[in-house]
Amino acid sequence: MKKYISLFFLSSLFSAEFDYNASIISNFGDNYDFYSYAENQLNLNLFYKDIEAWVQYEYSNPPEIGFTMNDIRKFRIEYSQDDYTVKLGDIYEIWGRGLVLNQFDDQSTNFDNGIRGLFLGYEKGPLTLNHISGNAEIWNFGPDLRTPYYNNSHNVIANHIQYDWASYSLGVSQLLSKEVHQKVFGSDAYVNHSLKGIHGSWTLNNADIYLEYVDKISTEKLNLLYDGPHDSLKTGHGFYGNMNFYFGNFGLSTEYKRMAFDVGHSDFTADDYGNRIAFQAMPTLGREQNSTLLGRVAHQFNFNDERGVQISLNGTLLNVNIVSQYAHLSRNEEWQSLTLFNWINSSIEGYLPSSDPSALPYWENYHEINGYHLNDKLYFKLGRGENKDILKTLRYFEGEGISVNETWIHTDSTEWQDDWVYLDSSLVGVDTFVYKVESKMWQVSKAITYPLELSYSFNNGYNLAINFEYQEQTKQNISKGNSKLYSTSDSSWTLINPDNPDSFFVQKDNLFSYGTKQIDTQINRLVSLTIGNASKWSITFTHDQTNAFSGPTTIDPFYNPLEAFIYGDLKYFTGKRNKIEPPAFIQNRWVSMEVAYNLTSSQRISILYGSLQGGLYCSNGVCRQIAPFNDGIKLSYFAIF
Amino acid sequence: MRKYFFTLLFLSKSVMFAADSDLGSKIPDLKLKLLDGQKVTIHELLKDGPLLIDFWATWCKPCKKVMKHLNQYHLDYANKGFKVLMINQDSPRSMGKVKTFIRSKKFDFLIGLDPNQKLAKKLNGLIMPTLILVAQDGTIQWRHQGYMPGEEKEIEYQIRLLLGLESESLENNKL
Repeated sequence: MKKYISLFFLSSLFSAEFDYNASIISNFGDNYDFYSYAENQLNLNLFYKDIEAWVQYEYSNPPEIGFTMNDIRKFRIEYSQDDYTVKLGDIYEIWGRGLVLNQFDDQSTNFDNGIRGLFLGYEKGPLTLNHISGNAEIWNFGPDLRTPYYNNSHNVIANHIQYDWASYSLGVSQLLSKEVHQKVFGSDAYVNHSLKGIHGSWTLNNADIYLEYVDKISTEKLNLLYDGPHDSLKTGHGFYGNMNFYFGNFGLSTEYKRMAFDVGHSDFTADDYGNRIAFQAMPTLGREQNSTLLGRVAHQFNFNDERGVQISLNGTLLNVNIVSQYAHLSRNEEWQSLTLFNWINSSIEGYLPSSDPSALPYWENYHEINGYHLNDKLYFKLGRGENKDILKTLRYFEGEGISVNETWIHTDSTEWQDDWVYLDSSLVGVDTFVYKVESKMWQVSKAITYPLELSYSFNNGYNLAINFEYQEQTKQNISKGNSKLYSTSDSSWTLINPDNPDSFFVQKDNLFSYGTKQIDTQINRLVSLTIGNASKWSITFTHDQTNAFSGPTTIDPFYNPLEAFIYGDLKYFTGKRNKIEPPAFIQNRWVSMEVAYNLTSSQRISILYGSLQGGLYCSNGVCRQIAPFNDGIKLSYFAIF
Repeated sequence: MRKYFFTLLFLSKSVMFAADSDLGSKIPDLKLKLLDGQKVTIHELLKDGPLLIDFWATWCKPCKKVMKHLNQYHLDYANKGFKVLMINQDSPRSMGKVKTFIRSKKFDFLIGLDPNQKLAKKLNGLIMPTLILVAQDGTIQWRHQGYMPGEEKEIEYQIRLLLGLESESLENNKL
């Protein structure tokens, strides 16, 4: 009851004494998968002289992702006078490019690394001093796509000093955290982290440079009753550099990163701890895509163990905007599987990323032209994106095997019952034969995507937009070498043809299928057509289609009138079609229609009906699998005032 | 049933608030850092005349579409003291590309940096693009979310209205 009263109390504060602004976000969804959600969020900012207050109230039962909530979710009170600032409540800060601290609350991935506590700030001329102390509860997803599963709680003290003068800037930062880390197996781990960072920048007329470095030490308290020094757990460092060059209508951005807080040849799990902590959200060096299909093949960046380079060109030529980007990333080590379960690593020579599959490299490049024509009425965009990602290695051995041939001669014999019997023999020679052994297997995904867009504005305020995205993707397990098995009894890799070690093979197994049929190339097509009247309304129809799935083929047991209408299935409307036995063609298509209406310039309502394909969604370097939305309705309302 | 009730409650409350809102609230004097490293406050930017604030990011398609028009308005009405302030919300992930994007386009408007959405949260500019038109005395005159081609006419009309280059009666006719 207290919560409802506080909500109404807050809303009644809209009086003349305060300056205020507020926003309301309401989302409601109900679909065939029996997951309906209703989430409502009110953000209220109050300003009174030197005091600012922010309250975020949430009523979600349940939300689309996250925990059910009916309470004040976030709040903060700030007081600023002259050069000083004091904040109490939920703190979100970013220092440098986030190698030490980058806090954000991203509801689309349910990632929130805010600290509830105290912020002290001093800013005078070129000098900035910041202090943060407080606690953070950071939730991560486990097996459930909608409800977080693992919790890491941090008790944090952090400080930052920055000095800006002329075209230079220099900052140092420190962060200490006592973490209680929840694991999959076993009891919680008690880990202390100490981070020290430095960052600097230099700006010139036609170039600028930014560098940041962080050093991290983690220790683990194995015995809670022991007050002495903790056991050293992991040490690591991170480096990020960015140089930009400007010439005429072109700008070239180059970036380098090397994050080495842990090592691993596979994905990190909740049981890997003592490495990068969730406050560290650094540049990923992948393009932040705004194409749906490119977003679905996004690389899952590894903040613990990854290095890479990115080059990006932006420019304008003959009124056409040009974007060109290339990135190459890999782990910091190359790996060798001595057995199927015993992996050893060796550092990659030099500073650049590796192309060896054992280092899980990733390449992406994207090129785009866009611009306006016909008196700025026609907008066009043509793009091409290419991604190649080594997703995992299942075995990766390259070395030598030895075959031993012994030569024996008989040195004594006798005749017995009309036959010769050998009484003794002697080893006269041993021939050893060294041969090459190669046993490799890795998983690779390759995709080429073409996002296209055309929109035309008519004089009467109407506009028409067509988006078309086409993607070809392959996903394969590649096996290579002359061995597939490791023999634990012989402690060696077993050749596929022991008589001929030179019998090498290359095998590629496609991982896409439709039903029981293997498919070489997954082809995805996404078309959306929007008709709108500027400032008033828009209607968007979206058709998403694939020909194969990487996992089990999805089954949509329900058939809705929109799908029937789009495919001209008259049987549906004449009652001859059983609605829970849809025709086969609907199983690999997702059709939706959205109507958006601006109630006022600052209030918008939208209703979506149909189906949406799930898949990987990434934001700020945080990825999560989105559950599909099947044959349902979504209602959204957003207002600012 | 409760969730439907609360959804409806929120909707009805918000519609009521929005309908009553006269958009006369003053903008707070927030500090921000510009792309060239300069530190300013919103009220300092209002000294010469009205200000149009827009929240954008390099990966936001409609944000980029409206930029061309906003830059034109920044130039066209500069003699009236009018300015456009584009507050960038790129995270460290794409922050390195902001300068190259802006300089390659030769945009003239002001660029503010807000990498962890501190300003956006204070001004409720969480949907991109969100436009906030502020009069010289700090009063918020108009807010707008999103951008569809063609809406630039409405944006320019609101600017002209604030600058006294358009009359209120025309607005009534228009709406």
